[in-house]
Amino acid sequence: MTLPLDLIAVFAPLLGAIIVGLGNRALGDRAAQIITCALMLCAATASVMLFNYVALEHHVLDRMLLPWIQSGTLNVSWALHIDTLTAVMLVVVNGVSSMVHIYSVGYMSHDKSIPRFMAYLSLFSFFMLMLVTSSNLLQMFFGWEGVGVASYLLINFWFHKTSANNASIKAFLVNRVGDFGFMLGIFGCYLLFDSIQFTDIFARAPQLADTQIIFLGHNLPALTTVCLLLFVGAMGKSAQLGLHTWLPDAMEGPTPVSALIHAATMVTAGVFMVSRLSPLFEYAPSALAVVAVVGALTCIVAASIGLTQFDIKRVIAYSTMSQLGYMFFAAGVSAYSAAVFHLMTHAFFKALLFLGAGSVIHAMSGEQDMRKMGGIWKIIPKTYTLMWIGSLALAGIGIDGVFGFAGFYSKDLILESAIASGTWYGQLAYVLGLAAAFMTAFYSWRLIIMTFHGKSRADHHTLDHAHESPLVILLPLVPLALGAVFAGYCAWNWFGGEGRAVFWGHALFVVPERDTVAAAEHVDEIYKWLPLLMGVSGITLAYVFYAVKTDWPAKCASSLGAAYRAVYNKYYFDEAYDYLFVRTARKLGDFLWKRGDDGFIDRFGPDGVAGAVVRLAQRASAIETGYVYHYAFAMVIGVAVFISWFWLKG
Amino acid sequence: MTEIVFYLFATILILSAGMVVASRNPVHAVLYLVLAFFNAAGLFLLIGAEFVAFILVIVYVGAVAVLFLFVVMMLDINFVDLRSGFSRYLPIGGAVGAVLLAQLVMLGLAWKTDPQLLSVVQAAGADAVDNTRAIGRLLYTDYFYAFQVSGLVLLVAMIGAICLTLRHRKDVRRQNVDQQLSREIADVITVVKVESGKGVQL
Amino acid sequence: MDNLHSLMIVLPEVSLAALGLLLLLVGLVNRSNTTHVVSALTVLSFIITAATLISPHRLSFLMGGTAPVFAFGTMFVDDTLARFIKLLILAASALSVFLSGGYLENHKIARPEYPVLILFATLGMMLMVSASDMIALYVGLELQSLALYVLAAFQRDDAKSSESGLKYFVLGALSSGLLLYGISLLYGYAGTTDFVKLSFVFKDAAPHTIGLTIGLVFVTAALAFKVSAVPFHMWTPDVYEGAPTPVAAFFASAPKMAALVLFLRLLREPFMPLAMEWQQIVVFIAVASMLLGSFAGLAQKSVKRLMAYSSIANVGYALSALAIMNKDGLSAMLIYLAIYFVNTLGAFGVIISLRKQGQQVEAIEDFAGIAKKNPLLALAMTVFMFSLAGVPPLAGFFGKYFIFLAAVKAGMVPLAVIAVVTSVVAAFYYLRLIKVMYFDESKQIIDACPCFGVRATVTLAALYMIIFTVWPQPIIDGAIAAISGFIRG
Repeated sequence: MTLPLDLIAVFAPLLGAIIVGLGNRALGDRAAQIITCALMLCAATASVMLFNYVALEHHVLDRMLLPWIQSGTLNVSWALHIDTLTAVMLVVVNGVSSMVHIYSVGYMSHDKSIPRFMAYLSLFSFFMLMLVTSSNLLQMFFGWEGVGVASYLLINFWFHKTSANNASIKAFLVNRVGDFGFMLGIFGCYLLFDSIQFTDIFARAPQLADTQIIFLGHNLPALTTVCLLLFVGAMGKSAQLGLHTWLPDAMEGPTPVSALIHAATMVTAGVFMVSRLSPLFEYAPSALAVVAVVGALTCIVAASIGLTQFDIKRVIAYSTMSQLGYMFFAAGVSAYSAAVFHLMTHAFFKALLFLGAGSVIHAMSGEQDMRKMGGIWKIIPKTYTLMWIGSLALAGIGIDGVFGFAGFYSKDLILESAIASGTWYGQLAYVLGLAAAFMTAFYSWRLIIMTFHGKSRADHHTLDHAHESPLVILLPLVPLALGAVFAGYCAWNWFGGEGRAVFWGHALFVVPERDTVAAAEHVDEIYKWLPLLMGVSGITLAYVFYAVKTDWPAKCASSLGAAYRAVYNKYYFDEAYDYLFVRTARKLGDFLWKRGDDGFIDRFGPDGVAGAVVRLAQRASAIETGYVYHYAFAMVIGVAVFISWFWLKG
Repeated sequence: MTEIVFYLFATILILSAGMVVASRNPVHAVLYLVLAFFNAAGLFLLIGAEFVAFILVIVYVGAVAVLFLFVVMMLDINFVDLRSGFSRYLPIGGAVGAVLLAQLVMLGLAWKTDPQLLSVVQAAGADAVDNTRAIGRLLYTDYFYAFQVSGLVLLVAMIGAICLTLRHRKDVRRQNVDQQLSREIADVITVVKVESGKGVQL
Repeated sequence: MDNLHSLMIVLPEVSLAALGLLLLLVGLVNRSNTTHVVSALTVLSFIITAATLISPHRLSFLMGGTAPVFAFGTMFVDDTLARFIKLLILAASALSVFLSGGYLENHKIARPEYPVLILFATLGMMLMVSASDMIALYVGLELQSLALYVLAAFQRDDAKSSESGLKYFVLGALSSGLLLYGISLLYGYAGTTDFVKLSFVFKDAAPHTIGLTIGLVFVTAALAFKVSAVPFHMWTPDVYEGAPTPVAAFFASAPKMAALVLFLRLLREPFMPLAMEWQQIVVFIAVASMLLGSFAGLAQKSVKRLMAYSSIANVGYALSALAIMNKDGLSAMLIYLAIYFVNTLGAFGVIISLRKQGQQVEAIEDFAGIAKKNPLLALAMTVFMFSLAGVPPLAGFFGKYFIFLAAVKAGMVPLAVIAVVTSVVAAFYYLRLIKVMYFDESKQIIDACPCFGVRATVTLAALYMIIFTVWPQPIIDGAIAAISGFIRG
């Protein structure tokens, strides 16, 4: 390795962000696009070469950059740690990011602040790379917060839109809840291990498996507590059930952003974190159970919501959430390589779907409601094809032992691992995952049929303008489509097959008796065929509902009544949070502000003191009457007082 | 005998000092002041300090008090107005004054001096020269410095007085000695022949 | 001691007096720019005097100048303390003369007596700080005061100026009366006015000889008047407001230093045996001054009155240092004075240079928006205000810091706490001025006076504030040396 590939892979995007961010308007739109795209492509190329060097030739790279904090036993440095897990993430992040950069050139061509957008994208990529290359919790947290900020900036890119403002604030606030957990987890780690270096933590984790820790006044198993706290952070970033409400709203951002951040990379940070910390989680089985259950619930809940939505991007957003659920329950049953496998394949096909959806929206002059689309497959055949590929990959269509789309390999691996784990939560996850697979297929084809087939429901004005997207938009979709088709087939050996152990090295850790991925080989045939069955039946049903008996969906919705409304309204999560937290907090804030701050603290604190001082000042200066005999009198009194003082003292 | 004279002078001194403050007519007040000066001079004479006594009479009575008298008579000051606040301030002013007075009286009663002081005083008296000469000697030897600086103080007082009050008014005719001395007959006198009944034309 | 020796000791004062008399004559030449010439010559005289003061010839004649030497019997003393403070006084007076030029012209009161009076006041101060006898003290004080009374009333056609001069004079006379009465009590007990002999007498006196204590009270009260400490401060705001601004600047700088050092010498030499008594008084007036100066300043609308209260508060800090009484405290006081006088002169310089339609700027609100029109002037004022407020790293911070440190070291924590609290309160009015300059909208047009003297003074003062931060050593060393030479052993 002659070139410092790791530095290029990580810092090229930062360089781009700095140049374009500072140059901004002076640089011009075209230059901004060229610089960021070129640097991203460099980074992507470097990561592919790194992948070859690290993952295939089995090296681990550690590069110390700068000492950061040295205080007592706390010793943190800026460093790059690149093993197979990181290398995979680098390829995913830089690959998708470079495609999104190029796509943005076309998609954002009418925007007024192109340099700002490109700079934000590059900045986001850099933070994401910092996150995945970290060798300690603090640097990871730095990247973690950095992507949060970049996400905030990008969701709010069209900051003149109130809905974008609200969505970005919501995303940031909900993530703060998760980050708080993450921070507590870091503190807990430092408390337990006296270090936040991954190597130190992993080395000592087995010894501390049974330690107790006092948290919130209770004696708790130390590792489980720490892991759960860290998992709260992961839940926030990866939009798991409970902290998921921000993700659908985040679709207010430009579509490339949704594709890059809210589908392919940032939201998978939680999965990456759990996998990275696998040596820790492995010794906290209860925490893993929680991870699995939360993941499974998210998976099914999100998929069910996806069935009912009409906004094309929201459907894909809920789909993303649901897929993240798959990844988490995979991690929960110790099938980390399966989780990362799905992370990778999902990155390809979900980015493809989002960018495809973007292309549709572009073609429909910004329309996102599927009820106002339909019948446009002849007008935009290339996009139509790409969407088909993405959906096939998402639904996990494929024949075991012959060929399948990317999602087929990873999703089946996850489901098989779940059932193979032999635990109750594994079985629960399998059942829910299976149901979700059915729903996934259903809403995917619901989307395709509603968007592309049938009679057009768009007004003729939009329809007249509908056109196939330019080459710069379609071209980046090709590599993604290739990934969506072949990634699973090609990478199977590394993630699920015999090459697994060699490929991963020490990057992932699984307690031998819980090696579910290995066990997945030997599950009953029936479990292997069920997902495919679910997928195909989901597609069929969707075809029946939306192409043949088009009045069924409405009938179905009305007959289900309250249940449908609950699902359509996303199980009233937003309303419940609004009622429970937002309003209560506002009331509390109002109370503290009006009664507490104004009424008490200000009145007796700053304002009171200031008022007293002013009165005192007025009185003190009122002594100055200007009459000379008053002054003389004051002097005489002064002397008299001093003399009396000494007389009285004796 | 000396005691009787002392108490006579002292009583009149205090009474007239009181009258300076109390009298309603400012001219009377100044006259009481003169009386007080005279009595004080008498007291000085009693202790043999005749130089101080005469200075007091010459400077204070002869110059200062007379100046006061002129000023008071030239300025039309309404003393009744000045006293208008008197009753208002009397209680508190009187109280503070009384306290201060009481303290000083107590001080007088409890007065002590440095035990070694007596010898110092006796030593000064032992030198039998008249006190004008003694003061002169001291002023030009031990107190030369203070004497000179007092001169500077007076100089500054003079500068101050001039600089605050001297005004060069344009409309006042002033004597120009130089011009007066240097003037010639030709400059000021013209001989004019006057024709009767025509008058003079200049 | 022969007369030559005595003359050599008082050579700086004698030369200053002689030069003053000469300048009086120069002033009589009736030319249009006489005042300028006399002012310049006055500054030159100050420089000559300073040079004489520290000339190696003279010092070597005085046996190196480390030990105190007396002249005219024991009337006059020359020691390190006197020399240090005399240099500061000369500098302050010279800067004050510099500040005055433009103002006097503008108000048509440019007369040659003005610099001469400043010169004689300065001479009085030099005599005060060198006084080693009650009588010398009194004559020095009177020389200074008389000149100051006249200066306060110098703008004689202005009712306010005359009023301030008269007030100052009447109250000054009262304080002189108090001083003389106190001195007579002390003389009545001790039979001497000599500082050295007095300290011996007091040492043997019973600790609570009431006559002495009361004499001490009177003397202290009179000096408290001179330094404008509460409750003898009442004249200060009125006089500062009424007197011509450069005169107020002068009042706030040189006479304050002279009176404080006189105070120091008196308390530390003859009254040292009565330390238990006077410390109570000094602490009281220090605390009262700090409190009143910082609180009453908040309500002021006139910037000159504000500076008056600021000076009262600052005297409070200096008096706290005096109350500490040990070497640390006293050198802290000297350092404080060395910083404060430049600081206040600079601030007054800015006030003097601002004019609205040819008139002096008086109200604080007139400062509104000058930052836009005169950014440099506003910057300088910001430096002065921050320094007065004690914001690090400007010089003013160090001044306060050394005092607080000395107070805490000496165990006078309550005093230090009060000092800190009041300096926080006072910071409000300093910062308010900055706020007005930078953030308020200006209502009328404010010009800066183009006079060279004022600009030079302001620039020098601002530089001093900043340079002190990086190179405070000469002042600190000087102050410590002055105190070590003064308190021997």
